[in-house]
Amino acid sequence: PCRAQPKKKKKVDVRKEQAQKERMKKKLKKLEKAAPELIPIEDFITPLKYSESNRVRSLPALSPEESERRVLLLKKWCLFKQKQDEAEKKAIKALVASQEEALQELRLESEDLYEAAIRRDEELFPFERDGPSYTPPLPGYDPPEGKCIDITKVYTQ
Amino acid sequence: SAAPRRPWKLFGAMCLLRLPRITQPLEKMEEEMAALMEQIELEKSHYSDHEIRKLEEEEQLKRKKESLYDEDEARGKTVIMARDLEEKWEQKFLQFKAAPRITDADKSNDRTSLNRKLDSNLMLLVKQKIGNQDLWLLPQVEWQPGETLRGTAERAMATFLGDHIQAKVLGNAPYGIYKYKFPRAIRTENNVGAKVFFFKAFLQSSDLSQAELKADYLWVTKKELGDYLKSEYLKKVNRFLLD
Repeated sequence: PCRAQPKKKKKVDVRKEQAQKERMKKKLKKLEKAAPELIPIEDFITPLKYSESNRVRSLPALSPEESERRVLLLKKWCLFKQKQDEAEKKAIKALVASQEEALQELRLESEDLYEAAIRRDEELFPFERDGPSYTPPLPGYDPPEGKCIDITKVYTQ
Repeated sequence: SAAPRRPWKLFGAMCLLRLPRITQPLEKMEEEMAALMEQIELEKSHYSDHEIRKLEEEEQLKRKKESLYDEDEARGKTVIMARDLEEKWEQKFLQFKAAPRITDADKSNDRTSLNRKLDSNLMLLVKQKIGNQDLWLLPQVEWQPGETLRGTAERAMATFLGDHIQAKVLGNAPYGIYKYKFPRAIRTENNVGAKVFFFKAFLQSSDLSQAELKADYLWVTKKELGDYLKSEYLKKVNRFLLD
């Protein structure tokens, strides 16, 4: 800060500074009014190096037997999945019916117990569970040491 | 509430499930489909960096063998080839031994162990005295006035497995009911029969060393329930068990 300013110039400087501040504020307002830039989704942009021609795989063409086999397999898969889905739905319906029956019987017994049973359980959710893996955990396994550095690019608007 | 006393005795039973630790084996249809999907994905894909590097190195080797150009070799002196890297990775993979999917308990069919049948749900069965018979049942105790049925079921679990069980009970409502009438010898006006309400819980910790097991117990899968439970009881229990 320059304190060695002669007293005559003080007012003029203050006014100049105020004018500068107003100009800066006007520029900021203009920038804020402009629409924010869209954050690019990196998964949707293929890097150019993967569209070069030498990258195309050269495999033998499919024989008609092979394509027949594939079409038939896809149709069988469709049927298999449909049966699986129907079985799941049937199991869920049986579960719900069983619970309904139990609640009805309970109601016949006592209203208090019924009220306690249909109350929502607050501690149930959020429910967390680790899914199954291909092999069970190895007892006494020593995982290799290392540090995981996250290099995802974070965009701000 | 001044309701007349009902002639049914109430019991709360807990169906404690140990969830699967490994994935179920794929069926034949699923395996064929998986192979087909992989094949199609391979056909539709382009070469990756690693594969391009491998192809270029193959070409270089071929050129070296056909015409003995030392300058080419000296210029691009590749110390490690992609092929060698792949061999190294393969070796490292073969050195790792994963835990077996079929455990010792499976082979010896030890039904009291929790390490059996890691790919399916296991349920707890205990031997209880009902009347003058010893039966295999899901752990149950009689309801006492002043507690909810869920509390009864949790008490049943604690009675047979001790207090240090970490289980997540799925909700306040019962999942199923088994109603039966007492044999004519003990049936009275006020004591017609009993209703057993089933609750479901997931076992959270697999460490039961602290559990004080007070009676004969078994951990069985849904298919093996038929070996131990009576048919009527089994029918009602099977309704609320998803395999």
